[in-house]
This record gives sequence, C-alpha cells and structure tokens, in this order.
Amino acid sequence: MVRFTLCLLGAAALIAAGSAARADEPDAAARAHAQHIAVTVCGTCHGPNGNSTQPKFPRLAGQNANYLAAQLKAFRAQTRGDPDAIGYMWGMASQLDDDAIEALAAYYAAQKAEPSASGASAAISRGREIYAKGVAAQGVPACSSCHGPDAHGLQDFPRLAGQHAQYVLKQLGSFQSNMRNVAIMHGVAQNLNVGDMDAVAAFLETQP
Amino acid sequence: MSSMKVNALARFLAVAACTAAAAGAAPAALAVPSFARQTGMACEACHTVFPELTHFGRVFKANGYTLTNLKQVRDVTGKKEELLELAQFPPLSIMAQISYTEMKTPVPDLAAEGAPGVAQNGTAGFPQQLSFFYAGKIAPNFGAYLQLTYANDTGTIGIDNSDLRFASAAVLPDNGTLTYGLSVNNNPTVQDLWNSTPAWGFPYAASNANVSPLAATAISGPYAQNVAGLTAYLYWNESLYVEAGGYRSAKQGVTNALTGAAGPLDGTTSNVIQGLAPYWRAAYEYNWSRNSLEVGLYGLDVKVLPGGTPSAPSPLIGPFNQFDDVAEDLEYQFIGDQHLFSVLATHIHESMTLNAAFASGASANPSDTLTTSEIAATYYYRRKIGGTLQYFSTTGTTDTGLYPAPLPGAAGVVTSANGSPDTRGWIAELNYLPWLNVKVSAQYTWYGKFNGGGSNYDGVGRNASDNNTLYLLLWFAY
Repeated sequence: MVRFTLCLLGAAALIAAGSAARADEPDAAARAHAQHIAVTVCGTCHGPNGNSTQPKFPRLAGQNANYLAAQLKAFRAQTRGDPDAIGYMWGMASQLDDDAIEALAAYYAAQKAEPSASGASAAISRGREIYAKGVAAQGVPACSSCHGPDAHGLQDFPRLAGQHAQYVLKQLGSFQSNMRNVAIMHGVAQNLNVGDMDAVAAFLETQP
Repeated sequence: MSSMKVNALARFLAVAACTAAAAGAAPAALAVPSFARQTGMACEACHTVFPELTHFGRVFKANGYTLTNLKQVRDVTGKKEELLELAQFPPLSIMAQISYTEMKTPVPDLAAEGAPGVAQNGTAGFPQQLSFFYAGKIAPNFGAYLQLTYANDTGTIGIDNSDLRFASAAVLPDNGTLTYGLSVNNNPTVQDLWNSTPAWGFPYAASNANVSPLAATAISGPYAQNVAGLTAYLYWNESLYVEAGGYRSAKQGVTNALTGAAGPLDGTTSNVIQGLAPYWRAAYEYNWSRNSLEVGLYGLDVKVLPGGTPSAPSPLIGPFNQFDDVAEDLEYQFIGDQHLFSVLATHIHESMTLNAAFASGASANPSDTLTTSEIAATYYYRRKIGGTLQYFSTTGTTDTGLYPAPLPGAAGVVTSANGSPDTRGWIAELNYLPWLNVKVSAQYTWYGKFNGGGSNYDGVGRNASDNNTLYLLLWFAY
C-alpha cells in the first residue's frame, strides 16, 4: 500500500512538472517541417501517421505530446536506455532541437490512432483485470490509476491503448530490469510476472 | 596457362561472360559502418545481418544515403536555401576479408603439363580483399557509396562497386511518400534495394581461389566495374518501385591506341557495349507485422561488339552479340528480436543473339538461351549465429563454341566435354558474429553438375564434385 501511495504521489508530481514545462505551440513552418520529417523519416518505422504496423516500433498516433517530447529529450540526452532506444533512437534524436521535438510531439498527438488488434481471450480478460485493479497480492497498483480508465493516458503518462503488445511487453521488461530507468514504473513492474505482463500487453493492444 | 586454355577463354571472352569475369564479379561486400556513424543507428536498423538489408535499410538507400544525425558545417542563403552540409567527420570505412579455400580435388599444375603434377591445394587469402569506402552524405540530397578494393588475385587496387545517388522525397496529400532519385553506378543491380538481385545477392562472399563455371548471364556480374549507368527511379509509399536507365562501357585500365588517352574506346578493347544498354526494374514490397515480401522483375539488354586486344585488334564495327536478360525475383523476411528468417530467390532468363560470335566461329549456334535459378534460405538467432542454404542451377543451349571441349592434351577443368553450360549444386554456410561488424563463416559448395556433366564433365576425367569447395572467411568492417 505504501508503494501504491508513493506511485500516485510520484504521478501527481510528474503531471505538475510536465504541465509547467510544456512549450508553446509550434508555428506553421515548424509544423510543416515536423510533418515532413515524421512522414519521410520517422514514418519508415512508425508509419506515416504514427500507426506503425511493425510490433518492434511503437504506435505514436494519438500519443500525448508531453510524453512524446519527454521521450525524445531522453533519447537525445541518452538517458533512456532500453536496447532499441540505444540502437535506433539515440542517433535519430541526437540533433533534434527543442522546437523540432515539440513540433514532432504535436504532430503525433494530432494523428488519429487506428484500431490495432481485436479479440477476446482468457489472457485479455486477465489483463483487463490487472489494468483496472492491479494485483493486490503482489503490491502491483492498477495501471488505470495513472494511464486512465480508457488507457489514453494524460500529459506525461503515455497512451497505452492500441499499443503493440510486443512493445509494451519489452518496455515492462526494461522497467523491471531498470534498463529503462523510471522509478515509478520500476516499482510497478518489479513484482509483475511474465504471465501478467503478457496479459496486460495483450489487453492494451485491443483497446481503442 | 596453356595456349589451348587461352584460346578457349579468348573465344568465350569474345562472346561476353567468362570465368575470369565471373570470378571478378564475386560479390564484393556491402558492410559499411560509416552509415552507422552517420545515422547514429546500430547496424540492425539497416541490416538483418550484414549485408542483407531491412526495410529501413532499403529506404535509407533509396533516399541517397543522406539521412544523417551528425552535426553539420552549413551554409545557407538569405532564403534559407541549403548551400552546404558537411559532416564534421567524413563517412569513411574499411573492410577486410581474410580467407582460406580448399577444393575437394586439386587442379592440374600447368607447369607440369604432361606430368601428373597438381597445383597446391589450400589457398590462404591475406587479405582476399581489403576495401576502403566513402559511404554517406555528400550534400543535402546527394550521397555516395564508393568502394576501392585491393584484391589478392590482381594484386592491385581498383574501383569496386560504386553508386552515386541524388534523391528526394515528397509527402503526398494522404501522407504517403514519393521518393524519387537518380543513380550513377558501375554495376547493373548494384543500385537495387533488395538482396534478391545479383550484385548484393547470396553468396555475399565467395572464394576467388576455386573453379567457376563457364556460363554467367550478362546481368549477373560480367560487366561489373566496366560500365557506367544512369538510372532514374520512383519509390511510392515505400512499396512500389520502378526504375529505368542505361549502361555504357566504362573500361578500366585501357587506353586509345592512337592517343594513349583513356578514350575513346577502339578495336584494341574487347567486349564493348554498343550504344546504351537499357536496364529496367519494377518491384512491389508488402510489409506486415514482422514480415516483408517483395516480388519483382528486372532486366538488361546488352549489345556487345567483340573488339580485340592490343596484340590482336578488331574494329568496333560490324555484327554484334546481344544478351537480353529478363528476370524475376522474390525476397521474404521475418525479422524478430530472437529469430530472423529470409528467403531470396531469382530466376534469370537470357536470350543470346550471337551474330558476331557465330560469324567468327566463337559460337556454334546463331542464338542460344541461358537460364539461372537461385533460391536461398537464411536463419539467424539473435543476429549472432546462423546460416544459409542455397540451391543454384544453370541450364542452357548446348554450344560447343561457347562452352568448348579441351583440345588434345590440354588440362580441362574449365572446359565442357559436351558443350553444355548446365551446372547445379548447393551452398551451405554457417556464420558466427561475435559482434555485429565481425563475421566468421564456413561455406561449402557442392556441385552435382558442372559445365554440362557430373562425371568427366571437362573431357579430361574431372568430375563436378572435384570442384566442391570449402571456404573459411573472417570478414569485418570498421
């Protein structure tokens, strides 16, 4: 319970910090430049509208701009250390300035997230339960308490709805091992077993 | 080399592809860490395992090798037009291949002609090849892949596969993309985006100390580094690719007999392309989940004037030989984090119209056909350890001029007892990559048929399986 409370306190602090740090809206030229980069460069992996079809690369359409900007800055600063961040994004983000980051974040936030997977299974049902209620016996808080009941996230908390299950699974693994060093998520993921991670990831992929 | 063997090769040279050319066209490697330095991305972004490209690698190439994530030295006009973008460090790389080749049965030693002597079996290549690259951006929409290679068979440094590209990409109203560009290159298909075409096809490295079959299609390497081509391409939504252009002879190491200058080419030069040889390509790639599937067509139509040599010149006029190649190709890739699997296949059909060769007696028929088929399946575990199995086959018209029998008393080996080019076999290769830019390989080639036969294929008692070859390779790039 103590861990859960800490998580919520941390979340509140993140939201406050994120709101205060948010930059001005990009101007028209910056938006056009961002669209060109997003479609012709980022789009090769993430899809031109951010609806990537390859599960290795996260879907970015409809993602929260604050979260995206924070991640791009973390790639640029080489502080996000999961394997694909190192192999792909440290280089790609290295020369982005703050204006370009804000414009790219705004571009993806404005894109419509297309439906991802659909279906029903015992694992998805289990994932729905974990997402909504957590796993009390293991001290795992409900994901929805930060990412929202619809998994659309808010500001610094990423949208998870429709995200590739493989990507979510790898991120949970990286939080658990601290390769992606985020204290809140390490706290959440450290007691999740692989089966629970699989279930949550499968559930999230089906969410609109 | 015996005069009989020289004669046989000379006759074949006069038609087009020859063993020497085929050996020279052994795939020179694409594995260029300067691209990784320029983009800041690991090898795995562009390659499954070098040199096989991923979808991202294909798009990087189509965009002219210009994607960069390095600080630039820039100059702009008052209207923000880019005048200069120079990386603070040039995109240079080095690559080496150290190899060891052992054939199942040694070849005869021509120094002991008439005696039972054989050449030493087991050839160490140190290096087999050493290459220097400029590979990367030159200007905002202009990039290069330039390779200079020292090879142990020639003992010299020469130009290797090279590709200069102008490219740009437009965003379409539906957020689709249209990439368009020009390539100036020196080997048909070296500019291609898929590994199912000859220049970057499997085997990615091969021995240059073994015996190669007599027959090779025009598009599969005989003209590599001795032509200059200009092609234009469109790549729509990173799926549909069309390209057209032409190639002209651009000979290395020859001079005009009258002026001593690098040109114009004259009758002291052999195998000169008449005019422009058209090249064309169409392909479609579909990507879903971890998979990609490409199917395509490509072709080259070469008209070749036989010409001559400085000691036996022959004017570049009169009848020519024509090699019209039409090919299909397929590439499938599954790229997971743990398991990677790919299939590469191509089928090349060549129609030969041999007006010059038939008139001179270098071919037995006025027209021939030649068909080659290759299919290779590759598996890797975590990009660390893996292997490839390939089946290859060549079939064609029997022609005792193109694929000649040995003259009495000659050594054979590179001859055909029955005048058939038919060759088939398998290549199995195992690879280990301790790091992503270092590869250790063991490759074995089995021949079921060689130059038309299984046993006594050369007319001097050599069997196809005698040419089976073990090839060990240490291959790295930095």
